[in-house]
Amino acid sequence: MLRIILNKKPTFWLLLAIPALLMLRRYASGDLIAMDMLHPTGEWAARLMIFAMVLSPLVSLLGPKPWLNWLVQRRRALGVAAFVYSVLHLVFYLIDMGNLVDILAEFWALGIWTGWAAMLLFVPLALTSNDASMRRLKAGWKRLQRLVYPAAVLVLVHWIFIHNNLIPALVHFVPLVLLVGARFFLSPKPQPKGA
Amino acid sequence: MRVFIPLTLAAAAAMAFVSAPASATGVIKCKSGPVSGWKTQDELTKKLTKEGWTVRKSKVDGGCYEVYGTTPEGDRVEAYFHPVTLEKLYVGRRGEVLFRKPGY
Repeated sequence: MLRIILNKKPTFWLLLAIPALLMLRRYASGDLIAMDMLHPTGEWAARLMIFAMVLSPLVSLLGPKPWLNWLVQRRRALGVAAFVYSVLHLVFYLIDMGNLVDILAEFWALGIWTGWAAMLLFVPLALTSNDASMRRLKAGWKRLQRLVYPAAVLVLVHWIFIHNNLIPALVHFVPLVLLVGARFFLSPKPQPKGA
Repeated sequence: MRVFIPLTLAAAAAMAFVSAPASATGVIKCKSGPVSGWKTQDELTKKLTKEGWTVRKSKVDGGCYEVYGTTPEGDRVEAYFHPVTLEKLYVGRRGEVLFRKPGY
């Protein structure tokens, strides 16, 4: 019984929503102001994006594993959750800034426009994260979803320059770069379909 | 029982991923001595408000007071002040340096 509930997709959605619910509760209680929400929402967006991105390299390196397969089946949910957190991130940015003049004044700062650009790339990825789009786009779907790689580079630059600090960004991105790199160098054979 | 492996993994990931609050960002450091010699953040906020600033939030970072707010000129900035003298040390906007006191 427990196992059936845990394996349900809605359970996974709920799991992914927990950090958002916790931080929104603190915001609603006045414990956090809009500015305080920027860091956690952005961090969770990046983290879930990275989580979705490392699954294929892990399958390539470790071979098929039941737990990996369990996660791969839920990869699209991870991607959509990353998008939802990035939308929250943007919403709280807009609340915090409060007016267009201030937003435009800092738009071309390296740490800002990279965030907007990553957001822009996330939109088509999220909009096509459904069965109907996968069927309609066929092979093009995979090509489209590869936009996540340039988006990840933009997220990394956004994070480093907004934070004036390398360490937290690197803690998240070094594993990603190592795994994607390892997959690229260690498995020259083409990936089987669906991997 | 296979479900317990992803569960354990998720728990481990959650543990590893619990957001550490952003500590010193390392933009500016102040040799400000013991806290007992510092002026309060309230005093800083009052002083800045009188000068035309809007203070959204302030905290201690790298031994300085770090303030998020709007300057009298209307720029949304992050600024650093010395906690003993309340002297302005640094003003930046998303990493772009708008003002930096020589020596800091």
